[in-house]
Amino acid sequence: MSVRLLKWLSLAAVATGAWSLWADDPATVKSASVTTGVPRVPQAKAIIQQYCLGCHNAKLKTAGLLLDTANVERVGENPDLWEKVARKLRTAEMPPAGRPRPDPSTYRSVAAELESALDAAAAAKPNPGRVPVHRLNRAEYTNAIRDLLALNIDGKALLAADDSDQDGFDNVASILTVSQVLLENYLSAAHAISALAVGDPSLPPSVETYKYSKLLVQDDQMSEDLPFGSQGGGVIRHTFPLNGEYTIKVLLRRQFYDYIMGMGEPHQIDIRLDGVRIKRFTVGGEANGTTMPEGFAGNTQGSPEFEVYMHTADAGLEVRIPVKAGEHEVGVSFITQLWEQEGVLQPRQIGFARTTNENYHGNPAVEFVKIGGPYGSTSPGDSPSRRKIFVCTPKTSAAEEPCAKKILSTLAARAYRRPVRDEDVNALLGFYRSGRAEKDFDTGIERGLERMLAAPSFLFRVESAPINVAPDAPYKLSDLDLASRLSFFLWSSIPDDQLLGLAIQGRLRDPSVLRQQVNRMVRDARSKALVDGFANRWLGLSKLASLNPDTDLYREFDENLRDAMAKETQLFVADQLKEDRGVAELITADYTFVNERLARHYGIPNVYGPRFRRLNFTDGVRGGLLGQASILAVTSYPNRTSVTLRGRWLLTNLLGAPPPPPPPNVPALKDPGQDGQPRSLRERMEIHRQSPVCASCHQRMDPLGFSLENFDALGKWRTQSDGVPIDAAASLPDGTHFEGIAGLRQVVASHKEDFVRTFTEKLLAYAIGRGVELADMPAIRKIARDAAQQDDRWSAIIWGIVNSPPFNMSVSGDGKPVKLAQAGRNGPGEIK
Amino acid sequence: MIVLKKSLSRRTMLRGLGAAVALPLLDSMVPALSVRAATPAKPVNRFGVVYVPNGMIMENYLPKTEGPDYETTPTLTALEPFRERFQVLSGLNCTPTPGRPGGAHAKATTRFLTDISPPTSETWLDAGISVDQILGQELGKQTQLASLQLGIESGETAGSCDSGYACPYTNTLSWSGPSTPLPTQNDPRQVFERLFGDTRSTNANERVARTREQKSILDSVTQEVSRLSGTLPPADRSKLTEYLDAIRGVERRIEIAEKENRQLPIVDHPEGIPASWEDHVKLMFDLEVLAYQSDLTRVITLMLGHEQSGMTYPQIGVPDAHHPISHHQHEPEKVAKTAQINAYHVKMFAYLVDKLRATPDGDGALLDHMTLIYGAGIADSNSHAPVNIPFLLAGGGAGNLKGGRHTHFKDVPLANLHLTLMDQFGVKWEHIGDSNGRVEPSMLALGA
Repeated sequence: MSVRLLKWLSLAAVATGAWSLWADDPATVKSASVTTGVPRVPQAKAIIQQYCLGCHNAKLKTAGLLLDTANVERVGENPDLWEKVARKLRTAEMPPAGRPRPDPSTYRSVAAELESALDAAAAAKPNPGRVPVHRLNRAEYTNAIRDLLALNIDGKALLAADDSDQDGFDNVASILTVSQVLLENYLSAAHAISALAVGDPSLPPSVETYKYSKLLVQDDQMSEDLPFGSQGGGVIRHTFPLNGEYTIKVLLRRQFYDYIMGMGEPHQIDIRLDGVRIKRFTVGGEANGTTMPEGFAGNTQGSPEFEVYMHTADAGLEVRIPVKAGEHEVGVSFITQLWEQEGVLQPRQIGFARTTNENYHGNPAVEFVKIGGPYGSTSPGDSPSRRKIFVCTPKTSAAEEPCAKKILSTLAARAYRRPVRDEDVNALLGFYRSGRAEKDFDTGIERGLERMLAAPSFLFRVESAPINVAPDAPYKLSDLDLASRLSFFLWSSIPDDQLLGLAIQGRLRDPSVLRQQVNRMVRDARSKALVDGFANRWLGLSKLASLNPDTDLYREFDENLRDAMAKETQLFVADQLKEDRGVAELITADYTFVNERLARHYGIPNVYGPRFRRLNFTDGVRGGLLGQASILAVTSYPNRTSVTLRGRWLLTNLLGAPPPPPPPNVPALKDPGQDGQPRSLRERMEIHRQSPVCASCHQRMDPLGFSLENFDALGKWRTQSDGVPIDAAASLPDGTHFEGIAGLRQVVASHKEDFVRTFTEKLLAYAIGRGVELADMPAIRKIARDAAQQDDRWSAIIWGIVNSPPFNMSVSGDGKPVKLAQAGRNGPGEIK
Repeated sequence: MIVLKKSLSRRTMLRGLGAAVALPLLDSMVPALSVRAATPAKPVNRFGVVYVPNGMIMENYLPKTEGPDYETTPTLTALEPFRERFQVLSGLNCTPTPGRPGGAHAKATTRFLTDISPPTSETWLDAGISVDQILGQELGKQTQLASLQLGIESGETAGSCDSGYACPYTNTLSWSGPSTPLPTQNDPRQVFERLFGDTRSTNANERVARTREQKSILDSVTQEVSRLSGTLPPADRSKLTEYLDAIRGVERRIEIAEKENRQLPIVDHPEGIPASWEDHVKLMFDLEVLAYQSDLTRVITLMLGHEQSGMTYPQIGVPDAHHPISHHQHEPEKVAKTAQINAYHVKMFAYLVDKLRATPDGDGALLDHMTLIYGAGIADSNSHAPVNIPFLLAGGGAGNLKGGRHTHFKDVPLANLHLTLMDQFGVKWEHIGDSNGRVEPSMLALGA
């Protein structure tokens, strides 16, 4: 386990220690009863007759939906159709407003009747659906290299980005296509990674540059891995490819005209390797000659010696040291000054101004760290990667090929996630031999590894049906395919030896073995992938990286805040998962995690330093996902909040009732004060909602959004906006009144069933790597129903998914993708 | 706190080459890398596309009068010095197929070069081959790369894309098949390496050895794919077919590269994505010109932004996100700011045009041997109107294309124009997407 994973674990484990709730005892699992046989649907039949057939009949064919010709007593004959009907009733979308409608309880009971009929039909005849051949996405590739070769790579620098589906998931098989760009990336990556992992002594020296954003404020201790009393800088985890000498060079932050910041006084700066100080430099305070005028830096120059110094004072911040091959932490930081600097008091630099800054006073900061090497005499050393690869060392030349075979077979079994076949090994050995002939044993292994990393068996997940299954028939996945599904679901990576071993022994279908494995995997640090890959994308937080608030309005925004926002949600979700809470507590929890930067944003006193710690709240404002700045910010515009975006986010991501897209040509929102009256956003939106076209959706979205109006576009608490006090009271179309975030939490909690179903739907889609279809709804309901017996805990939902047909079964043969193209295709055609 | 963004490099700059500056290093390129320079028989015609998202404010963009004496507009001001080198085409439509409503922004992008309205598809893909790829099949026969797809924004941070449509529909213009969108590259360093290779050395012998190694990997992998493929149902083979197609592309590239055996230019690597948007755009345009100039490819598409982009432009006084403000609801301030963004984008395009004009190629300049499109997939974003889209046609089209006028078509599908442009490259298709004919070449001063 890498240092980084351990760190993450220890952070997530701040509160209490035990894993106890991830119990290994299957006896506690109660399964909810599903009635077998054909359930009657007496009420549904009557209600459909009364309310639906008036339009949806063979004569009118309204919306192409014919309910008179479909038999509601045999929903199994047309499950997709009845699933749609159940959904329209469940959300009371039909009959349309203005038509006679049943009362709310009838809606619910008819939907329930249809759903249990559909569930019974599905139980009798499961339709697990099919996941097409699945290419590893960038995160999976990166994790696989970590687990296969004990090597942390920067996937973003090596591979093209993956596209995502409408839900934001980037592991959807049908969208992960292959292009020439990507293949070229794979070839280059295989070449670079194999050389790095084996420690190819012919690697030429190179310089890697790490950059710190100008918008990162470096006035405090930047990391827990840097000492107390340090200021600015950061910690870099760098892989040193060989034993050898390396240079570490630090360049300080420049202002707009390239003057180094903070060179008016001397500062001490330390360079560390794995926490040990290598060297302390003093920089600054030696500028002689005449300065340039304050505030006109660059416009009017100072005397030559001053100018030269201000541009080159950091030239000597470089050390050259021997480093052993492998990953090491390089730390760079200043020592905190305990006195205030002299000079003209400057306004606090904010936002955009930081990058266009003329001010050259204040604290110095690190802008680049450049690590160069290896120099001098080099050797592969004994890196973690080499320990993982070289399971044998040939003593004689006769022992070389058997050893190469052992090394490459062991790695290939892990990389290909199955026992290796002769043809696999032969292909790899061919490359070994050419490398051996070219140079030496290690080079042979390097070439074999390079070939392995370009192999389709590594890059694609291909599931195979047993030979004796009829075409288009559902079948249980093999143990090997199941092992891969588990590891890519829970770890976004390849199975480890234990999981693969059990699959090879054919023991994975044993429920107690399976449960033990699932629990082990969730407890393992690699399950952090569930937070990054699933939660982050489910909640739409990948947008956080491109958040561009208007810094004239949100002057406090800096990179430190952006990082802290992301980290809060990660830690909170990780904690919920680790503590195995009911998933609705994601909303109702009364705690969260903050560091000093975020606490300042939230107005919480007495939180110091970069460390995140758990805080409980009694004021009902923060705590749980809804009070988190990350979510409040990505659902806002750069210069204002949006009740509609927030409402839509809540409906889509939490309640599973996404509103349709807006019609074009929407009428204007009147600006505040346009007719002489100051208007709040709320008043303006209410005018907007008087239009019936807009109202049908906005009356669902906006009230939810209004309840969060006490949070500005960066999630900061506020009591007024546009000069008008915030009114966070709202009422839903069904008349429910509620107020503020506390009220909203109750609303979501009172729709717990919808929330759990939506959560399950999203997690299932992520788990199997394909979009959820109507045919999956019975499985989703069963998972949610069973989980309800166990307080909707994460473990229960994960266990339910693992045991559901979409996850552990597939459909054989040519099972065409359910939806495919009636669309026009372009082709050369005939020229007349 | 994890503050490290390894945006700059994993790599591999020879020490001494040292502190490469990101800009404007590519100007130091030696011209006439083009192999074509030696064979001046028939001038090459290249195909380029620059796409802008979220439509335009049409009052500010579209000239009021037609013909050669049209009066320029505020949005087009930056192109005025090149007036004789481009045409304004109006009245072109990208009307979605009836029965396929919604997803206006997704379709704006996808239709722009495919002329197909994809059906609602959140988790799967269904469009068709795009014009640049059709042309790439032909124009790519002589070059290492059949085409290049560039972008400025990264699709990965976009999060949810247009309602009902998976993200590739908004992330790329280029499709090599109905379910094969081609990803755009937005990191200048990665584009550079794509063009000039990933060897850690400029030593010719090492490069040859690396090529040989790559070839043997591709051979071996191809065998593995066919073994795998045999065991799969047809529906699953398509993914592996994509993989084989990609392999063939790389093999072809290696073959051509070996034949050309050309000296690599001594240029510094760009160091990743520049902090300023404008520097980023210019650097990508520099790379585009470099790719044409060294004849590595003759087909390049570039997206200045994605539909529904949240990009802000504080440097020109627009700190508002582009997409929301483009839904201006006729509020004068929002209209003005959107128009400002449109003009800013055009100014960037003018940089490319200028650079192409200044780069010698054969008996003229690159711009003379280009068919270069600049446009958007919708007109006014506020109403999502897919009719009368903004569309400029620049370059000399290797002697076929004139500039200096505004031509109005009356409700003509963009697909018809695509067919006519393809004709100019000798690629004659009867039909593409929703085309219902062709545009009269004389309307474009084509073939003159």
